[in-house]
Amino acid sequence: MNSGMNQVFRFCAQVMVVAVVSVNSSHAVDTEVQVQLDVKKASPRAVESLTERGILRDYRFAWTSIAQALELNTQDPLEGPFAGEARESLKQTVAAQQGTNLSQQYTNQVHRVEAVFYAPEGDVMELHDTAEFQLRVSDGGKVLHDEHVVMHFVVLMTPGADRWTIRQLQAVPQF
Amino acid sequence: MRRRFKICAVACVTVAFSVLVCFAQDLRVPASVTAGDDASLSTSGSGKATFYLLGPGVSIKTDATLGEEIRLQGRDLRNAGEYLALLCSGTCNSATFFVTSAKPFRLTFLVHPSRVPVARSDAVSGVALPFDQFHNLVLAPATIDFQLAVANYSLFSRAARTQDGVAWFRTASGKSAGALQVSASLDAISVKRAVQQVASDPCQLRISGQRGPAGILVQTDPVHDCNGNIVSDGTIVTFSATEGDEKSTVDAPIRQGIARAQIKTAPGMTVISAASGIVLGNELRIGAKQ
Repeated sequence: MNSGMNQVFRFCAQVMVVAVVSVNSSHAVDTEVQVQLDVKKASPRAVESLTERGILRDYRFAWTSIAQALELNTQDPLEGPFAGEARESLKQTVAAQQGTNLSQQYTNQVHRVEAVFYAPEGDVMELHDTAEFQLRVSDGGKVLHDEHVVMHFVVLMTPGADRWTIRQLQAVPQF
Repeated sequence: MRRRFKICAVACVTVAFSVLVCFAQDLRVPASVTAGDDASLSTSGSGKATFYLLGPGVSIKTDATLGEEIRLQGRDLRNAGEYLALLCSGTCNSATFFVTSAKPFRLTFLVHPSRVPVARSDAVSGVALPFDQFHNLVLAPATIDFQLAVANYSLFSRAARTQDGVAWFRTASGKSAGALQVSASLDAISVKRAVQQVASDPCQLRISGQRGPAGILVQTDPVHDCNGNIVSDGTIVTFSATEGDEKSTVDAPIRQGIARAQIKTAPGMTVISAASGIVLGNELRIGAKQ
């Protein structure tokens, strides 16, 4: 009798530990973002290697920031990597999510990015991003939707004093 | 035994009901919506549900009645991109649709440089990006007319088709100094920029001078570039004076096309020359002071 009770107790304890770990991990923002950048087709200006590294760094950071902002419903991460319309749109999304108590989790992000246009004077670059990630939508902690998605984004980036910022981030059905 | 049967029966009914509910609620979305337009989503089934819409700039949660249309207002569909619609009643059904940009409303037009020497090849460039009234990049191909003109005289004209929302040009600067009007037009939308064309480097130098009480006063003739434009103020002309073994130089900026300098020398024969950039002027020999 006692050993049976012990087994039940152990089983319950294990279930609780697993549950606690799951809850904790679901609240941690997954900041791992993989970005592959191909600049071979960029024209009319060729992308310098220093610029390529900067784009790679700043684009990855931007998506880390999007994931944080939309999961934690805070606008702070959007201040650095975004400007203009992209920033306004993302801030609106966060504000709207705060109102509805919804949140979105972007995990396991993989971005295959191609530079398709780089202005003659280097003041604007257009990227095409085929992004894959796990999207989870929650309402007050209750998961409504969990799906592996593939999306296509047209992105405009402009150089700032010390970084490249995203000015336009527009999802399209295909390129 | 009877109890087990009851539990199984309840479980079966629950599963069957869940399956029925799953099939009962269906959500159909439009293939695509133009930014700012109203849209409607159709549902099937009966009963109450919760409808969610997530998209760029949008997060909506509202009650819905299954079997009735869900109306979306244009103000919620202003941003181009992908929208996720969820209809939840016990379980959730999802569907996605795209909002595409509306017709072009304004042009972003980047022109470089703001100041350019005349007659330089590939010196002036411009990039135009059409946006709709909701600030979405218009990706549908459109033809943009680029025009470059100086004082109503057309220097360059090109119609460029946008590709992925971008059109661009690059061309040589004109031959005359002055304001270069650069415009980009798309239907009724027109944007203008100005580029200041300035004279290029001096083409030749001629100098003249005379001895005065304080030394030799030397000056250039009006300095032109190779297209006949007066060279910009501030361009430096270097005057060199050689008298015997002694050599002295004076830098003088061009003012209103002419550079002037006062060279203090000994009273002997002096040879003066001038240079600006890679151009050398004539030699001037000024005799000894009487």
